[in-house]
Amino acid sequence: METAVVTAINSLMLSAMYILVALGFALLFSIAGILNFAHGALYMLAGYICYIVAVEFGINPWVALAGTIIVMGLLGLFLERFLFRPFWGNLNRTIVTAIAIIVILETGINVSLGAGVLKQIPDFASGLIETSTFRFSVERLVIFAVSAILLAFMVWFITRTKLGLRMQAIAQEREGASLQGINIYRVAAFTFALGCMLAAVAGCFMGSLYNLDPFMGELMLLKIVEVVILGGVGSIAGILVGGLMLGTIDAVLPQFVSGQATQAIALGIIILFLLVRPQGFFGRLV
Amino acid sequence: MSDSQLYVKGDNKITKPALYTGLVILLAILPLFVKSPYYLNVCILTFTYIVAAVSLRVILISGQTSLAHAAFMGIGAYTSAVLAKELGWTPWICIPLGALVTTGIGILVAFIFSRVRALLFGMLTIFFGMGIIYVIQVFSKWTGGYAGIMGITPLFGISKVPYYYFFLGITVVSLLALYRFEFCRIGKTLKTLDQSYLVASSVGIDEVKTRVLAVGVGSFFVGLIGAAYAHYTLVLSPTSFGVLQSIYLVMYVLIGGLGSFAGPIIGTAVLVIIPEAFRGLKGYSPFIFAGLLLIINFLMPQGLVGLPQLIRSRLEHRKGKGGTHAP
Amino acid sequence: MLLEINKLTKYFGGLAAISNFDMVVNELEIVGLIGPNGAGKTTLFNLITGVLKPTSGKVKFDGKDITGKKPHVVAELGIGRTFQLNPLFADYTVLENVAASFNLRPKSSYVDAYFNTATYRKNEADILNQSLEILQLVGLDKIQDELAKNLPHGYQKMLGIGRALAVKPKLLLLDEPLGGMNSDEIDFTMTAIRKTRQRGVTVVVVEHNMKIMDLCDRVIVINFGHKIAEGSPKEVRGNKEVIQAYFGVAHVA
Repeated sequence: METAVVTAINSLMLSAMYILVALGFALLFSIAGILNFAHGALYMLAGYICYIVAVEFGINPWVALAGTIIVMGLLGLFLERFLFRPFWGNLNRTIVTAIAIIVILETGINVSLGAGVLKQIPDFASGLIETSTFRFSVERLVIFAVSAILLAFMVWFITRTKLGLRMQAIAQEREGASLQGINIYRVAAFTFALGCMLAAVAGCFMGSLYNLDPFMGELMLLKIVEVVILGGVGSIAGILVGGLMLGTIDAVLPQFVSGQATQAIALGIIILFLLVRPQGFFGRLV
Repeated sequence: MSDSQLYVKGDNKITKPALYTGLVILLAILPLFVKSPYYLNVCILTFTYIVAAVSLRVILISGQTSLAHAAFMGIGAYTSAVLAKELGWTPWICIPLGALVTTGIGILVAFIFSRVRALLFGMLTIFFGMGIIYVIQVFSKWTGGYAGIMGITPLFGISKVPYYYFFLGITVVSLLALYRFEFCRIGKTLKTLDQSYLVASSVGIDEVKTRVLAVGVGSFFVGLIGAAYAHYTLVLSPTSFGVLQSIYLVMYVLIGGLGSFAGPIIGTAVLVIIPEAFRGLKGYSPFIFAGLLLIINFLMPQGLVGLPQLIRSRLEHRKGKGGTHAP
Repeated sequence: MLLEINKLTKYFGGLAAISNFDMVVNELEIVGLIGPNGAGKTTLFNLITGVLKPTSGKVKFDGKDITGKKPHVVAELGIGRTFQLNPLFADYTVLENVAASFNLRPKSSYVDAYFNTATYRKNEADILNQSLEILQLVGLDKIQDELAKNLPHGYQKMLGIGRALAVKPKLLLLDEPLGGMNSDEIDFTMTAIRKTRQRGVTVVVVEHNMKIMDLCDRVIVINFGHKIAEGSPKEVRGNKEVIQAYFGVAHVA
């Protein structure tokens, strides 16, 4: 029974992480049409930035998190303006840029911080919850709570605020939106920054729950792709559903089969799903 | 992949047979001057990836984004290596068999994935590539799993020279075969699918059959070179055939220029040789690779093959002739 | 009867795009298919040519049942078509666009093509000649080496028609061939369509532009996926329901 509760919380938490990262990626694709394959690498970078601030400078992890979010947001603006905007609409060249970014980030982190002792961000909250039946780390609950609030805020933001509605408008009909006077470049820049910030949160949290690894972005990119495919391109509800599904699979299956097998099974499910329903759960718009 | 830059979809014939014959002759006499096994190895590696990249381009020009090409190379390599190891057959039989098995699997996969297009197709190929790595692990009794396979039957002796000529030979023959394929009507038909599958099917082009053909041809040559490669390096590890390597192969094609037959050849040569030249930088050499990617991507929309044209128009611009078109 | 459509129906989810549609086209007719936007005209073409599969109903062409057959099979049986938004082989030249469309007659085998046999060379020479002929018919022979994507809109549409003719169709389905053309281009296109009929091709034209009525032997009017009128251009012009469909109820009186 206790494993069930623990597993449930774990799967919710993992789902929240996946959704945070996938959301940034999906928004960028829906709104700016940019397929940013470097999103996983940016997630990884954020984790390491937080690590450096928290460990090398000995700053409180929450403060480090805030700082990382700001840095990543600014980085997002920079990347969009100088590395992605020149290639708007050109998928091939965007991908080349993304690959270059991935290589630079992974190599850079790997040669500087990759070797030696495993790096981990200090806990965001300490202590255990101990009841008569199980114990659970406070940190996981806190992380889940913060993520859930953040996601709820995001959903509210996209569906209720003026900027959010503008973003939706562009996602549906880019030319029409720009004719209406919406500055698509500015919104794209904002979306990119937003995506980086969300990924930063996930990167820092995951970097605290588990170890940091210079190549953890690749795994996360795979998760992103899986989530977006399951959920359907262009649908936020789809991301939520897809993230939940994947998070649950990744939390539940490893209890029964090896890590490798979990990946393979998840992959198999997704391939079958794709062949039967290529548009995902909610293919199209929110 | 159907954008107008980094890919000119017309028939960009590089009709300079004299240039190429000269190049082949130079390469043929190279071992007379270059004795170092290290340099010969770099050449053999380059030949291998050139064949892989050119065969990948066959698939790309039919409008199918394959991110599993390295996996197919792995299928060829592992099939041939395992056959030689387990059944004791000579590599001269195992290599063609490896190529055929790869082709068969390619045809099957292409057919299954033929109901899907564009981005979704690309994603499926990623998953397929990962699946192959997993299969290698599952059959680790024969393939050695993640640890890899060792002691593969070699084609020749210790010296790299026979290998050099063997790979040069395969490369030249493969390129000739693929060149003809692209510039006869079959190639034209492939390219129509990339431009508009609606129009293509409305003029009688069987989309599924053509797509499967493209993948079949591409798989054959990459399986062939993969199998040959196995009996050269004598050691295989699944990481050489993963999604990252497939992505690199796509980079070789894009950077060289997707619109031209010579594109993948130049792209591979540059992206393999230059980082290799900076090998002394140890862990930092990927930066060279990434740097090349960014520079070429920013400055040369048509890829490296567009460089002569770019220089020409810059020079004309400078001379004040006004240039043929804006840069 | 060259083309016979029987109770053709297509549902998208709960919406009937085409509903119990009957239609007959006789040899060498020019039939106009008109109706307001979204009436289902392009959907009908897509159903005939196999781009979409019907929910129910039958399509018979030249005596054969072609319901739901794939587009390239339909093309081989002798139906050519153009598309409303007019996709082309954008990076091929005008000539290449037409030449690349000669996939059926003559057809070289892969072996012939790859090994450049005499059969293949003869076929390619034939294709070249026939392509130039078609370009003359559609008035694009002078610009045969222009890239298709650089052509002005009207020329692109003509190229679309030229490409459809490469199939050597018995039936030609034209989807809004006059769209975006100026009046000179319209006259030219209508003449080209007449010439095509003279060469033995039956034509069904979907159009918005009422000028097409001058060309048609018969007109079918479609709205909301139903056939609402059929007859000679004169009959249809006066038909109350048709006027209602286009201009609203107030104008009928």
